[in-house]
Amino acid sequence: MAGKSSTYSLKKQHRLKKPLFKDLVDWVRPDTRGFHQCRPAFLRTGAVNAASGSAYVEFGSTKVIVSVFGPRESKKAMLYSDIGRLNCNVSYTTFATSIRGQGSDHKEYSSMLHKALEGAVMLESFPKTTVDVFALVLESGGSDLPVVISCASLALADAGIMMYDLVTSVSVSCLGKNLVLDPITEEESYQDGSLMITSMPSRNEVTQLTLTGEWSTPKIHEMARVITTTRWLRPYCDYIEDEGHLRSTCFKLHPELRPKNGRGKPRIAAISEVPFSSGEGGA
Amino acid sequence: MRFFKKTTWAPSLRRLSGLRREEKQEDIMGLTDASGDLAGEMEVDAFRRLFPLRFYERHLLESIRPDARPLGKARDTTMALGAVASADGSALVKIGHTTMLAAIKMEVMTPASESPGEGCIAIDFHMPPICSPLIRPGRPAEAAPVLSKQLTDIILSSEMVDLKELCLIPGKAAWMAYLDIYCLDADGALFDAALLSAVAAFSHLCIPAVSVNDEGRVFAISEEQIEGKSLKEPLNKGKRKLTLSCTPLALTCILHKKYILADPTAEEESIMETLATVVLDMSGRLVSFYKPGGTFLAYTSAVQDCISLTRQRVKELQEILTEAIADLELD
Repeated sequence: MAGKSSTYSLKKQHRLKKPLFKDLVDWVRPDTRGFHQCRPAFLRTGAVNAASGSAYVEFGSTKVIVSVFGPRESKKAMLYSDIGRLNCNVSYTTFATSIRGQGSDHKEYSSMLHKALEGAVMLESFPKTTVDVFALVLESGGSDLPVVISCASLALADAGIMMYDLVTSVSVSCLGKNLVLDPITEEESYQDGSLMITSMPSRNEVTQLTLTGEWSTPKIHEMARVITTTRWLRPYCDYIEDEGHLRSTCFKLHPELRPKNGRGKPRIAAISEVPFSSGEGGA
Repeated sequence: MRFFKKTTWAPSLRRLSGLRREEKQEDIMGLTDASGDLAGEMEVDAFRRLFPLRFYERHLLESIRPDARPLGKARDTTMALGAVASADGSALVKIGHTTMLAAIKMEVMTPASESPGEGCIAIDFHMPPICSPLIRPGRPAEAAPVLSKQLTDIILSSEMVDLKELCLIPGKAAWMAYLDIYCLDADGALFDAALLSAVAAFSHLCIPAVSVNDEGRVFAISEEQIEGKSLKEPLNKGKRKLTLSCTPLALTCILHKKYILADPTAEEESIMETLATVVLDMSGRLVSFYKPGGTFLAYTSAVQDCISLTRQRVKELQEILTEAIADLELD
């Protein structure tokens, strides 16, 4: 392979100018979405047959596949532990990014995925063993880590690992005066600040919150309003017009679903409860 | 207690504990293998786990495989071209559960002095930890570099791609095609699926339109710029699709005693270890025959049988490939 070291990837000669967000209030997003709108999503469980559980998730052009293996024997070198271990790894394909091999820059994603899931998985249900969560980003189109986290929680549910709730994640970018939900790569490269929130929607608990870049206190308040009003993180019932459950499981609308003898079923993660409004998602 | 009531394990375990005595009896009766006697009472799944080889041989006697395939039949194969938008050419191939994602990214290089009019192809095969429980991160799979080398040898030696077509300016600039193949789900016959995905990615490849600036650096130009005539003619006008000739396609077979099993699953590969891979090109010429050792030696007749099975399979694959390309052109 002569000349292997001296290749270069193509660049557009005339780069698009950075849009001026500060003056433009009526700026439109590159994919003409609303500021507080997610990309169309596609979710499917059972993507990899060789794994105990797996999921494939697509958000716009971000494509992610996650496999879960185990619970299986921990490595010999590991000390005894009476709770289970969660082992996470995120990697990129060489062609995921526009310039070849750039995906290996995100070394921190593995530990961030671990931190995001740790709080949701019932580690005490598989003592002494390890559950491996491996993610591969097939194509990177922005908001990669939130998509990986949501996909990993689906894969864990598919593997039958006990969880308090499914974990959903989304990021918000601050572009001048605007807050945009679920940013694409182009928007991420222009952003002044970014925030990623990971939560368990039906318990209304946050497992991870990351703030980076420039944020003012009023901006953070506005952002909190954007996220909590987005139906992405909380299941929303349009029959009683309140949060907490979906229309399909509303007891007012479907009284036959109400648990008998006072005691309901124990809460386990159910894939059908993922509150996605678009795409062919669910399972 | 419920566990024992639900399954038939309890009686068969009891029988296993009394195995020694029974074995002696069978010896007298002329039977040597205890598993044959147990087969009648054990659950199928238990038998499959305890005596995998017996389980398969019992199927082979009836000329059928546990997944209901005849011995010479390959699994269902599907193909999707253009699965990855960030690459210049890509394809997703599924043979049964085995899934391969191949993508090509084009970069520019200065050609080597000994071949100034030729571009280059770099092929890499990856097995990320998602594809199999046997692979852990940080410890690359043994099979990956072997398959990488095999794929490189076959794609380059079959001369499917004319390297001269990858030349931009002789002696100054040429294309380097980086072909990366990722195994997303490993369930046997990895080489066949990898080669098919590589071929499919090459047939989907559309080389970006480029122009050269005053410093001699090549840069990409967009469709609007070509139509708007704001720039001079693109450097590679009319050379954006490669002409593929003699496309190589493969079939892996298991040789076990007198049987030949085409397109094995991972389970079959782990039980019966003698493999033979045949690569033929579209016109039916033999590109490669690869039999990496194994317990069974192949007779000439077995080799010929493998080749004729491959010949049939290549025809099937050719149809799938043509269909996928036709679908692409419709969109």
